[in-house]
Amino acid sequence: MESKKKVKNIFIQGAISPGFITDCIAKHSSNTAIGGHSIFMGQVRQDEIGGKLVSAIAYSAFEELALEKMHEIREAIFEKYPLSCMHVHHSLGDVSAGEICLFVFTSSAHRKPAIEACSELVERIKAELPIWGKEIFQDNTHHWKENK
Amino acid sequence: MEIQLISFGKISEFLHSQQLEIEGISDTDQLKAYLESNFLQLADLKYKLAVNKILIQENTHLNSGDSVAVMPPFSGG
Repeated sequence: MESKKKVKNIFIQGAISPGFITDCIAKHSSNTAIGGHSIFMGQVRQDEIGGKLVSAIAYSAFEELALEKMHEIREAIFEKYPLSCMHVHHSLGDVSAGEICLFVFTSSAHRKPAIEACSELVERIKAELPIWGKEIFQDNTHHWKENK
Repeated sequence: MEIQLISFGKISEFLHSQQLEIEGISDTDQLKAYLESNFLQLADLKYKLAVNKILIQENTHLNSGDSVAVMPPFSGG
């Protein structure tokens, strides 16, 4: 079970592996009060910008501020929805096209709080955490990602 | 006074993190004007400031030794 109080580190160096995600899911089988999980995974898209293909995104962050802000968001979401669990992981450094860079996982007794909390978390993470993505092209030039 | 400037994302490519020695500046509006006139690219960008790791929305008083982060729009996820 997640503690609600401690500031947690959400950052993982490089891509988030499918194995990490399945392990995280498996760990919840012992919590039999849970009836629904909701998962969002962000994957690096091979966008075409100015005729060039994105081969990876290099993520950087103002880590201390991001973790403080994430703590605030976490508390607010736990306050708003009856959740059993909430896990958030975001990549730092290089993540290749096709790999996972964001993993948000919420669990509750019934489906709706898990689904709504997961969706709200993703929106808030993208809008409020000081994280930047640099899209790297195959020829090593780059373009700074802008969130829509 | 001394300001510890920290820059991120696109902004870090032309405004490097550095220790700034500046006089005649006592708040973030004045610092923004100073930075925008010295780093012209900044004037064309949207950005936010954090003073001592706290995101600020309005003009904020600065003391010597403060850290100021200059941050372009976030693009995580």
